[in-house]
Amino acid sequence: MSELVIETTGLRKVYGGPGRRLVAVDDLDLAVERGGVHGFLGPNGSGKTTTIRMLLGLARPTSGSAALLGEALPHRLPQALERVGAVVEEPRFSPWLSVRKNLRLLARAAGVERSRVDEVLDQVDLRDRARSGYRTLSLGMKQRLAIASALLKSPELLILDEPTNGLDPAGISDVRALVRRLGETGTTVLLSSHNLTEVQQVCRSVSIIGDGRLLASGSVDRLLGESVARTRVGVSDPHSAALHLQEAGYTVVRDGDFLVVEGHEHPDHIARVLADHGLYVRELSAIRPDLEAFFLQLTGHSLAEQLSRQGTADGDDE
Amino acid sequence: MMRLVAVELNRYRSRRAIAVLVLLTVALAAAIALKTAWDTRPMSQQEIATARAQADIQATRSDINADLRKCIADPESYLGPRATAQECRDALVPSSRSYLPRAPLDLAGTLEGNGLGLAVLVVALLLIAASTFAGADWATGSMATQLLFEPRRLRLWSAKAIAVTLASGAVAVVSLGGFWLATYLVAQSRGIGTSDAVLGDVGWHLLRAVLLAMGAGLGGYALTMLFRHTVGTLALLFAYSVGGELLVTLPFEGAARWSLGNNVFGWLEESLHYLSPSSCSRAGECSPLQVMTHLDAGLYLLALLVVAVVASAAVFRRADV
Repeated sequence: MSELVIETTGLRKVYGGPGRRLVAVDDLDLAVERGGVHGFLGPNGSGKTTTIRMLLGLARPTSGSAALLGEALPHRLPQALERVGAVVEEPRFSPWLSVRKNLRLLARAAGVERSRVDEVLDQVDLRDRARSGYRTLSLGMKQRLAIASALLKSPELLILDEPTNGLDPAGISDVRALVRRLGETGTTVLLSSHNLTEVQQVCRSVSIIGDGRLLASGSVDRLLGESVARTRVGVSDPHSAALHLQEAGYTVVRDGDFLVVEGHEHPDHIARVLADHGLYVRELSAIRPDLEAFFLQLTGHSLAEQLSRQGTADGDDE
Repeated sequence: MMRLVAVELNRYRSRRAIAVLVLLTVALAAAIALKTAWDTRPMSQQEIATARAQADIQATRSDINADLRKCIADPESYLGPRATAQECRDALVPSSRSYLPRAPLDLAGTLEGNGLGLAVLVVALLLIAASTFAGADWATGSMATQLLFEPRRLRLWSAKAIAVTLASGAVAVVSLGGFWLATYLVAQSRGIGTSDAVLGDVGWHLLRAVLLAMGAGLGGYALTMLFRHTVGTLALLFAYSVGGELLVTLPFEGAARWSLGNNVFGWLEESLHYLSPSSCSRAGECSPLQVMTHLDAGLYLLALLVVAVVASAAVFRRADV
């Protein structure tokens, strides 16, 4: 097994006191190997940000242990953070300072060379706004500044919490390209996101979290291989076809004039069942497995709910 | 550590609201120095002549002359034990000095008047500036970003504390020192002599005022780091001050000793007498006036500061950000 840059064991965070307890992270065992971009996927409120805040020393775990780059937390946090860059939630800087001044003060506090400031501004394509006041920046520019600050220490590990939130499509594309590039050039990136498409496009491996618990973890390809095969079926009489397929033991959901079938080993089996009942298939296409389907499967959503959610998401996706 | 302090000093001076407060502090000192100089300006010939004429008129008044005669006949019954006839003349013969429209510049008098008021204002403004300094980090959320670059929390807390204390001290030295230097130079230019004792009093007052400003800056910062809100700090201080004044009205033994206002003035003034009627409830001779020494006031203020600093640093070290 290769070196782990992030490792948590039984990590738990409980907010509030007796009677008003909220378990934000529950017995989380997370392992992220060095190299590439690792997705940290989960819906809003699933505990991603709380986990990241605990890793970065901004919040204290209720129990459990964690290590960053092999340094045990919280005792070795300063040593670990010398090699870690991070953006947590929305960008947070001093609004009365300029872009460059904000970065210079942070660089000075961390003992980073002053010249590094302009390098990271170039990296995120923000050099031409270096003199602008932070408060005059658009959300996308603020997000880029946050990434620039995370890059100041030339980190071995970069932790980005929802870095594309609030960005326009061009900004999203730029950030994803930057993250990919960083992953390819030796920096390990932990990309926290609720956006499945983003994780699928950018990440090599992923950990999926729900209700504060780890649901699955591994390479994206492996997880997709584990997802249930589904086939879209076009047939002249969808009603009868659905009945026959259900009798044959498949799960069937109507999707307009089509049927979506799961539970089969090969699409040919569907065609054979229908042909046995005098129904001839005019379209038979495998639905490509994706993280979203896998995620919904993990979180116990039915096939009908998945189709309905996907219909909405297709409209939302950029 | 020095690097972090330098960063925090940079943050302090870059904050626009703080720059405005600092400018206001310096402008107030300049304005009060100008007002002091103007209010004590030398008399014109016209004013002296008017005062003399008025004194002459008063000297002819029969009631005043009758009082003078009675006093000279029996000074002790008129002015108290061991009074002399000369003291009767000094007190009752109208003098042109009594009719001059203003008093000449006097550093000892300024120490108890404009100088004292300015010191209190400067301390209050620097406390607000320090609170704003810390409050902005919480309001903007930039504290979390700063902790990613300096995760040793006590180190960050201390760097900010040192920066805000030094900055408060520097602004106090410039504004209050400037005020006293200007006042002294004006007195010199008018040929008004100032004794070494008065100069010594001014020097000690200036030192105490600067120390108080530094303490107020540190205290305001510490409380804001604790409450994470400037308004919270100012509300607490307001409530504490008002509560302190209410305390004075309570009939508890030595209640006035614990008023914030009394202790601040006790620290700044040469000698503060405060009313403590309860001390007269005991049998025997007593005076309702108690003296607040610099040590009494200093210990009280220092205790408040230590409580605020320890609570603030301890909470910041452990609490989620």
